[in-house]
Amino acid sequence: MYAYDAYDHAIVNARVAEFRDQVERRMSGELTEEEFRPLRLMNGLYLQLHAYMLRVAIPYGTLSADQMRKLAHIARRYDKGYGHFTTRQNIQYNWPKLSETPDILQELADVEMHAIQTSGNVIRNVTTDQFAGATADEVADPRPYAELIRQWSSFHPEFSFLPRKFKIAITGAREDRAAIKWHDIGLVVKENDAGEIGFEVLAGGGMGRTPVIAKTVRDFLPVKDLLSYLEAMLRVYNEQGRRDNKYKARIKILVEAMGIEEYARQVEEEWVKIKHTPIDVPAEEVARIKAFFAPPPLAVLSEDVPEVDALADKNFIFKSWLHNNTGRHKVPGYVNVTISLKPHGGIPGDATDGQMDLVATLADTYSQSEIRVSHEQNLILPHVARKDLPLLWAELDAAGLGTPNAGLLTDIIACPGLDYCSLANTRSIPIAQTITERFDDMKRLMDIGPLKIKISGCINSCGHHHAGHIGILGVDRRGEENYQLLLGGSGAEDASKAAILGPGFDEHGIVDAVEKVVAVYLGEREDGEEFLAAYRRLGADVFKEAVYGTD
Amino acid sequence: MVLINLTGIQPTGYTVLVDEIAPKEGENVAVPLTRLLEEDEAFFATAGSIGVIVDTETSFDVLASVVEKIAFAVIDFPGFADGRGFSLAVRLRKDFSFKGEIRATGPVIPDQALFLLRAGFDTVETVEERKSAFEAALERFPAYYQTDFGGQTSVAHARHSAEGQRKAS
Amino acid sequence: MAKKITGPQLVLANRLDDGRAVFLTAAGNWSNKVADAAVAANEEELSALMAIAQSAEVANLVVSVTPVAADTAGNTVAPAHIKFAMQARGPSVRSDLGYQVSPNWEQ
Repeated sequence: MYAYDAYDHAIVNARVAEFRDQVERRMSGELTEEEFRPLRLMNGLYLQLHAYMLRVAIPYGTLSADQMRKLAHIARRYDKGYGHFTTRQNIQYNWPKLSETPDILQELADVEMHAIQTSGNVIRNVTTDQFAGATADEVADPRPYAELIRQWSSFHPEFSFLPRKFKIAITGAREDRAAIKWHDIGLVVKENDAGEIGFEVLAGGGMGRTPVIAKTVRDFLPVKDLLSYLEAMLRVYNEQGRRDNKYKARIKILVEAMGIEEYARQVEEEWVKIKHTPIDVPAEEVARIKAFFAPPPLAVLSEDVPEVDALADKNFIFKSWLHNNTGRHKVPGYVNVTISLKPHGGIPGDATDGQMDLVATLADTYSQSEIRVSHEQNLILPHVARKDLPLLWAELDAAGLGTPNAGLLTDIIACPGLDYCSLANTRSIPIAQTITERFDDMKRLMDIGPLKIKISGCINSCGHHHAGHIGILGVDRRGEENYQLLLGGSGAEDASKAAILGPGFDEHGIVDAVEKVVAVYLGEREDGEEFLAAYRRLGADVFKEAVYGTD
Repeated sequence: MVLINLTGIQPTGYTVLVDEIAPKEGENVAVPLTRLLEEDEAFFATAGSIGVIVDTETSFDVLASVVEKIAFAVIDFPGFADGRGFSLAVRLRKDFSFKGEIRATGPVIPDQALFLLRAGFDTVETVEERKSAFEAALERFPAYYQTDFGGQTSVAHARHSAEGQRKAS
Repeated sequence: MAKKITGPQLVLANRLDDGRAVFLTAAGNWSNKVADAAVAANEEELSALMAIAQSAEVANLVVSVTPVAADTAGNTVAPAHIKFAMQARGPSVRSDLGYQVSPNWEQ
C-alpha cells in the first residue's frame, strides 16, 4: 500500500494544526457557525441529530492492519465503541466531541490517515473496486491512479469551492464493483490496441433526486493525461455548474442540460489549452506510486484443499460462506474473503472496536496485513490462502463476523437514516433489520441467489436505492414514515435506474412487499436466472399485480 | 477595510468609477466590466491604470475581450463559497499570462488565503478584524500537491528534483 | 413578526461542544431533558423563547436552534415529529445510547 513520505506527513500534519485552530476559533466565537460549517465539512465533520459525526477517509477503501487498529482505538477512546463503514468506503463515528476532533485527526495522521474532503463541495474520497490488485478479472490495479487523484485533488486551489460535492470512482476490472456509472466522474482502466494503459472517461452520473447514469466523454485517455483532463472537466463544471439551487448543482444536471457531446467538446477545448502544463505528473512519480501497490509475493498453491472440501461437505454454513464470501484471486490457491458486516437483525456496516481489532489481527495472520472496505459496507481480507479458510472462518464466526450472505438478499446497503442523520425523512436501519430477520433461513437465501437490496432514508440516496435490484426509499408522508418500493436498478456494468412500483407502505408493509416480490421471482424464474435478469425479462406488471392486487 | 498582500506585489491605488463619472486625467480607476465594454479610446487615453471589476457570474469569454486593455482586475465574490472566482483568476493567469494585480473583494474568509494566493490572486480586501487571521493562514502549509500560480511546484514534481528527494526522505 | 404556529411548540438545539440535543427551559437554560422544555402556547410566547435561544446561539452555547411542534398530551411534553422525537430519545436501533438510557445520560 501507499506509504507517506515527508511531504505527505507535513501536509496532513499541517491540516490537523489548521483544523485545531479552526475549532478553537469556533469555540471562542471568532468564527460563526455559518463560517465554520463549510470548514468543518471540508474535514468530514457534520452535526447530526444526537451529536457531531466525523467521517474519516479510507482512500480507495484500502487499510493496513495498523490503521484498522487505530480506527478501533478511536471508536473506544473518543466514541461509543463502534464505527460505521459507508458506501463510499469510509468510516463514520457518531459521537465525537467537537473539542476532541483535532486529537482524533492527530491520531489518524500518526497512521497516515485523515478526514480531508470527506464532505463539503469538494472532490471527495476516490472510490474503487474492493478487490483491486487482487482480482483475476483486472486489466490493471486502479489504486495507483486513485492515489494520484487523491493527492492532486487535496486542497486544490481552484476546486475547493465547487457548486456541489464531486465523486470520482475508478475500476480496473471487467466487472464493475465500484458503481462507476453512478459517479460524477467514472474511470475505467483500459488497454488500447497498442497495449498501452489508459482510461475510458465517463461523466455526469449521480443519484439524489435526479438519478442519472454517467455517459462516456472519452474512449481512451492516456495515463499521462489523467490529471490535466480531470482539471479541464472540473473547470468546465466549476464555471458553469448551477449555484442557484443545490438540488440542481451536481455535474449530472449540467451535462444533461448541455448534452454530453457539448460537455465533451468544451472539456476537450479547454484540455488542449492546458495539456502539457506543469500538471502532467512526471513518469517517475507514477512509477514511485505504482511501486507501493506491487502485488504481494504469493507462492502459487494448489486450488485443491481437501480439508476445505471436507468441511464444506459437512457444514452448510461454511459451504455457503465459501460460495458467497470468497472470490477468485489472481494467484492460484488464494481467495479474497468478504467479511460480512450484515449480521441478520444487525446494523448494516457497523463494527465494534473489538471486531475491528480482530479483523486487524486476522489480516496480520492471513492477508498480508491488508484490509479493504467495499462500497457495499463490508470488509475484505485479500490474498488469503484457501488452505487457511477453515481456521479464518471459525475465528470470524465466533466474533459474529461469519455471516455467509455476501451478495445475497440480506447483504443490504442502508444509510444511517433517521436514527442518526439530520437530513433523513425516515429510518432505514430498522427496515434492513426486519428484512434480514424475515429472510434468516440460509437455505432459502441460497435458493434466492444474488439479489441486492438498497435502502435510503431520504431522496439524497446515500443508501443507493436507485441502483438496487430492490430499492427502498423512505419518505415523510404527513409526519409518518412511508417507504416506496423500486425495482430493477443496478450499480454494476449493466447500470440501470430502479423504477417505483407503486404507492408506498408503512414499515411492516414494505417488508411484506419485498417478500411478495421475491415470491414472484421464485415462481417465474427460468433455470439459473438471477433476480435482476428475471425482472428485466418479465417487466414490472407481474410484480405490481402480486404486490398491489389486480385492480 | 484593509488590504492583505498575498504575493508582495505593489498594490494599485485606485478609485472605483461609479455611474457615469469620467476618470480624471491620469487617475487609476477600477471599472465594472459592463461599463468597460462600452468605453471608447478617449476613456482609455484619459485614465491612468485601468482595472476591471467583475463578479463571479462573469463568463470568462467576456472578460477575455478586455484583458489586453487592463492593468489589474478586481474579482468580487458575492459569497465566500462561490468558487467561480478562483477559475476566473486561474484563467487570467493561464490563458493570458496576465501579470497585473488580481484582487479579491467580498466576504472571502481567512481560511481561503492560500487558495486565493495559489489560484493567482495578489491581494484581498477584507475587514480589519480578519487581518491577523489572513496572515496566519498564509503560513499554514509547508508543501502542496499542485503546481500553482503562487509560484509553488507540486510535490509530485518536487519529489523528483534533487532537492526534493532530500526533503522527501 | 411572530411565526405562525398551529399548536404548542418547544425549542430544540444542539450544544456547541458535544452536539448533544438540548431543550430550552422556561428559565432560559438548556436542558438535556425534554421534560424540562418550555412550551410556547402561542406565537408571542414562541417569539420570546426564540429570542432567548438565538442569543444563546450568538453566545456560542448552542447551534441549530429549531422551534418544533410539541405533543403535550397526558401531562408530558415531547417533540411531535418523529425526527425531533428521535433527538429527545436517541437512536431507535441502539437502546443502549442516548437519553432513552436515562434522561441524565452522560451529563
